[in-house]
Amino acid sequence: MSQRDLSRYDRQMLLPEVGREGQERLLAGRVAVAGCGALGSLAAALLARAGVGYLRLIDRDFVELNNLQRQTLYDEDDVRSGVPKAIAARDRLLRANSDIEIEAVVTDLDPGTALAALGGVDVIIDAVDNFEGRYLLNDVAIHLGTPWVYGAVISTYGLTMDVIPGQTACLQCLLPQPPAPGTVETCAVAGILAPVVGVVASLQVTEGLKMLLGRDDLRLGLCEVDVWEGELETRSIARNPECPACVHHRLEHLQAQTESRTVSLCGQDAVQVTVRDHAGLSLPALAAALEPSARVSLTPFLLRIAVEGYEMSVFPDGRAIIKGTTDPATARALYSKYVGV
Amino acid sequence: MSVVVKIPTPLRKFAAGQRRVEVPAGTVGAVLSALVTGSPELADRLYAGDGLLKPTVRVFVGETDIEALGGLAADAADGAVVSIIPPVAGA
Repeated sequence: MSQRDLSRYDRQMLLPEVGREGQERLLAGRVAVAGCGALGSLAAALLARAGVGYLRLIDRDFVELNNLQRQTLYDEDDVRSGVPKAIAARDRLLRANSDIEIEAVVTDLDPGTALAALGGVDVIIDAVDNFEGRYLLNDVAIHLGTPWVYGAVISTYGLTMDVIPGQTACLQCLLPQPPAPGTVETCAVAGILAPVVGVVASLQVTEGLKMLLGRDDLRLGLCEVDVWEGELETRSIARNPECPACVHHRLEHLQAQTESRTVSLCGQDAVQVTVRDHAGLSLPALAAALEPSARVSLTPFLLRIAVEGYEMSVFPDGRAIIKGTTDPATARALYSKYVGV
Repeated sequence: MSVVVKIPTPLRKFAAGQRRVEVPAGTVGAVLSALVTGSPELADRLYAGDGLLKPTVRVFVGETDIEALGGLAADAADGAVVSIIPPVAGA
């Protein structure tokens, strides 16, 4: 199909807000979707079908059975193959729209990776599942001057807000400090009803499309949604005139140390180990070395190791997700013992 | 002379499952104190150790952020609707 054939976008171009000129702008647009879980997979699908010309899909995780209830891009084959979400999402969406470019980035957003992962785009859609990642995204967006759309959901409830660096309140204006660990419920504890994902992701994408279209009618403010109650309210949030991030440009989350680290994954019985020095790691070689003592499964994207009652998924960049523990020390010990980077 | 406090879904389990709670009108500080009476878990979600609101919680009277109205000293007059917005991280 020719890139100039816009007929697939006929119904969208009928909108006076879009039109042919707007569609051309969308096709020239570049968007990063940070996280390919519930919000991210739906947002990516809406953006791809809308004809946003370049999408970068970023995620650190792979598809699991309990994702399928709300992560609408994936299926049971993806669970069986253990494919990374970013890869599965890209492959699925290129079948829906081969007219655009989709880049899959399998990485954890941290201060060492975030600038490269989130740079070179016009808009960022926030679909990460933790506050640490969101504050980092906020810092990156301020550093690069890139607009982004905050979105978060739990239970039947969700929040979303447009952030235009230098113009609107940023995440740190809204929430001056991240909540202390353990003080905010996760989807794994409180649950989540898939329709709220649909509403919040749709609101995020609508705003993202407006940004690409250069519209001046963005929905500014914090939008609160409860799908069970059928409520949607948007309230103004003022910029903090002393905001360390968007006013004074002290981007402490981006400037944090990027050494190797070990973090419990929010709401999961799992710990992620990230290493900076992974030169020389070969997953096939590691699989061969471990085969006598562990159950190993090698895919083009990761090596899965079942050992000592734990399941370790090791990625080519040296990162590993270790299921079966929430204790960083245990995870670090397992990593040292079996991966040893 | 009362106001309605809207309890967001993530906090309802700390408020006996109630969606809305009617409490006497007054300052926002007094309204929230009345709200958390008998619910230390809800108090823990709203207040920092110093008696101030946690920086991760936003409170509105009607459509207006209390930060623009004087914080906890803001007036929540008869008939007002007070909304609490908790931090949400899931995706």
